[in-house]
Amino acid sequence: MTKIKRWFKYDNIGILFVFPAFLYMIAFVGYPIIYNFVLSFQNITVRNLRNGQREFIGFNNYIQLFQQDDVLTKSIVNTLVFTVVCIIFQFLIGFALALFFNKNFKFSKPVRGILMIPWMIPITISGLIFKFMFGTDVGIINFFLKTLGFIGENIDWLTNPATAMPAVIIANIWIGIPFNMILLATGLTTIPAELYESASIDGANKVQRLFKITLPLLRPTIESVLILGFIYTFKVYDLVYVMTTGGPVNSTQLLSTYSYKLSFDMFKYSQGAAVANILFIVLFFVSLLYLRFVYSEREA
Amino acid sequence: MGTNVELSKKKNIIYSFISVVILCILLFPLYWIFVTSIKMEKEIFRIPPTFWPEVLNLKSYMVQLEIGDFNMFHSFGNSLIISFGAMIISIILAVPASYGIAKYNFKGKKSIVLGFLVTQMLPVSVLLTPLFIIFKNMNLYNTFWSTIIADSTIGIPFSVLILKNYFASIPRELEEAAYIDGLNRFTAFIKVLIPIAKQGVVVCGVFSFLYAWGDLAYGMTFILDQQKRPITAGIFNFMGQYGTKWSYLSAFAVVTIIPVALIFIFMQKYIISGMTSGAVKG
Repeated sequence: MTKIKRWFKYDNIGILFVFPAFLYMIAFVGYPIIYNFVLSFQNITVRNLRNGQREFIGFNNYIQLFQQDDVLTKSIVNTLVFTVVCIIFQFLIGFALALFFNKNFKFSKPVRGILMIPWMIPITISGLIFKFMFGTDVGIINFFLKTLGFIGENIDWLTNPATAMPAVIIANIWIGIPFNMILLATGLTTIPAELYESASIDGANKVQRLFKITLPLLRPTIESVLILGFIYTFKVYDLVYVMTTGGPVNSTQLLSTYSYKLSFDMFKYSQGAAVANILFIVLFFVSLLYLRFVYSEREA
Repeated sequence: MGTNVELSKKKNIIYSFISVVILCILLFPLYWIFVTSIKMEKEIFRIPPTFWPEVLNLKSYMVQLEIGDFNMFHSFGNSLIISFGAMIISIILAVPASYGIAKYNFKGKKSIVLGFLVTQMLPVSVLLTPLFIIFKNMNLYNTFWSTIIADSTIGIPFSVLILKNYFASIPRELEEAAYIDGLNRFTAFIKVLIPIAKQGVVVCGVFSFLYAWGDLAYGMTFILDQQKRPITAGIFNFMGQYGTKWSYLSAFAVVTIIPVALIFIFMQKYIISGMTSGAVKG
């Protein structure tokens, strides 16, 4: 008894506080992740989900997925294109806005605050709004482009395989801008103003100050924004599912939407799990990279 | 360029004007869906479009009180139940956990923190299929509980990581004073430490709620009955059936945004602090 008491006397008491949350996360996150791996090595479909006859088939799901058609390959390429293009534009626009709102004018704080709203809106709703705006005949985007003379005929954005991807990318950039802006803006406030003052005394112009002071000092923030952007964009699901459900003809099929389609439209649970695993493994390593990066920055 | 530099009056006006233009461009989609929701069906499809309704029409909202096919207000209630449920579970589990992590140095602490960090970056896709099968076996499939549990797994790691910074910043002496006053570790935690970390608890509550409110994948996959589905899943379903009924769809969108807008108006400070500290500090 005294031994138990002594064990709980000091730091170990912390375990009691952490334990409930830990157990909960093991049950509903840790175990499912492992279960997902197991699933991906079995052959579970809607037929043998209940009766328990589960065969271990090794990597067959993965091999089959690559062999049966080109949808998986296409999803991988699409996911990469989607992620990279989104990040580039989100970052550039977010950075430009962060620099702009870093200036000390009257509206800077309130307007920057309101600009956060797109990030908070349920993604289902953002998807719905953009689906409406990208409509072929009555969509406002076609109307604007036509009025400005960029196009003669209406573009069938979401029903044409060539334009569906740009459309979902534009919608996702809109969602991502606030996130990039606010993180970069926070980073900017850590740069001491005196640096800019002494630089302008030395005759450095705006561009020089941007490249010689802002960018180098902001590097840690920029890197973490980019890696986080990759993680959050690579796993986007709802937006694309609402706007196109991965179509037309898989032109916007991402790993996340393809996994969902396999599991819950075609009821090939094991194949769905296998695709989700590919997504998971990529993100897992990028996350570790990010964490290593954050910790090394902190110690430095 | 720095924040301390005062701008001339002229520049101040020009920049403020530009910022309003940026605001109008970026928030136009929200304005557009709102305006659409108060137009007549016919006017929605008119070319060239009208930027303010010629005839004000609130029928898209009113009609929801009558029809049973997809009842917006009912689904709204479901979403509230699910989001509050997820929020409460997140808070109850995350507050003590973050305190334990912030104040005690037990074995395995680092790995647990790392675990929470990785969980935060997890794609929903990887949990969907296994949780679907697990919930079926637990007979939780098609109940609120399934979605509440799944949504709370997003809120918990976020809350733990945010709150641990709050607890860590509370000086040790405060705790020791509480012990001298006769409180033990648990009562001191509840009576002294939680009230001090109140602001952090609010941030976590707000985010746990918002994560659950915005969820589509879990609600759509784990709940089959339209009657029990959250509003996002209900809207998605409605889109599939009546994809061109934009008068109703835009009204659904506006109603779903309302709680988010209210939270934003009253808690903007908390939200921005949550976003920045959650993502950068980790």
